[in-house]
Amino acid sequence: MRGTYFEDVVVHSVQVSPAITVTETHVAMYLGLTRELPVGPVAVPDVLPLCLSIGLGWRIQDPPMAVLAFVGLDWQIVRPLRVGDTMHARSRILSKRPMRDGGFVLEERSIVDQHGEVVQQGKFTFLVAKRKEASP
Amino acid sequence: MTEHRRYFDEISLGEECESPGRTVTEADIVMFAGLSGDYNVLHTDAEFMKQSIFGERIAHGLLCLAIQSGLFSRASVPYATLAFAGLRWKFKAPVKIGDTIRLRAKVTAKKDLSKEDRGLVTLERTVLNQRDEVVQQGETDLIVEKRR
Repeated sequence: MRGTYFEDVVVHSVQVSPAITVTETHVAMYLGLTRELPVGPVAVPDVLPLCLSIGLGWRIQDPPMAVLAFVGLDWQIVRPLRVGDTMHARSRILSKRPMRDGGFVLEERSIVDQHGEVVQQGKFTFLVAKRKEASP
Repeated sequence: MTEHRRYFDEISLGEECESPGRTVTEADIVMFAGLSGDYNVLHTDAEFMKQSIFGERIAHGLLCLAIQSGLFSRASVPYATLAFAGLRWKFKAPVKIGDTIRLRAKVTAKKDLSKEDRGLVTLERTVLNQRDEVVQQGETDLIVEKRR
């Protein structure tokens, strides 16, 4: 597994992702995949920006963390996003805790729109691989 | 949008529901990788995953979170939801290709909000697989319209 290993995760480091414009296509694909009910003609289902933020996390400058598992999240929706809005993610490492196989990393993340307003925010817990577990 | 919806006043504290099952397929995982841009090897590299503790590719945690959100709307008459306020969630066990997941949900809190036309409904949600193992669990807060 490649990426930034647990040992190299820097507490308090900040990452800003590239941005993505949320389109009708994203919404249609999401609704088709999940069978969530539509919430209005230009509304973006609230879980979709969260899903897109994970993908954006793979497009940052540094190698993304070598995530073995997504352990949990605590998440707030501040305001809805609408079709045509452009979002990006801002994240900061809050703490890390070593375990025998890998370690837990607590990350604070905000999803920000084109006006610089936070639309969603919360905390993610990941289990991240240690360096010794590098490619088998 | 024309189907019947349940308003805040019609939702009872303690009520429970269970959704139909849904089998998570390889196609679901491939589509979700394409949609989200999350191509982590956990979800996309079958050869690498043969050597892992899981033995095969696993579904994205957020894919199953999104699927249970859709299953909730099939578990009972949909709520007159105005907004999704937040969630506290744990991913407890992997979901593999071919696993069938379903949702069990229970209303654990109802609260009035400062705006009089709406209230907050907290649901405890458990996502189970075909062996009745808990794969995901958490709480979600929904803002639901009151009947005028």
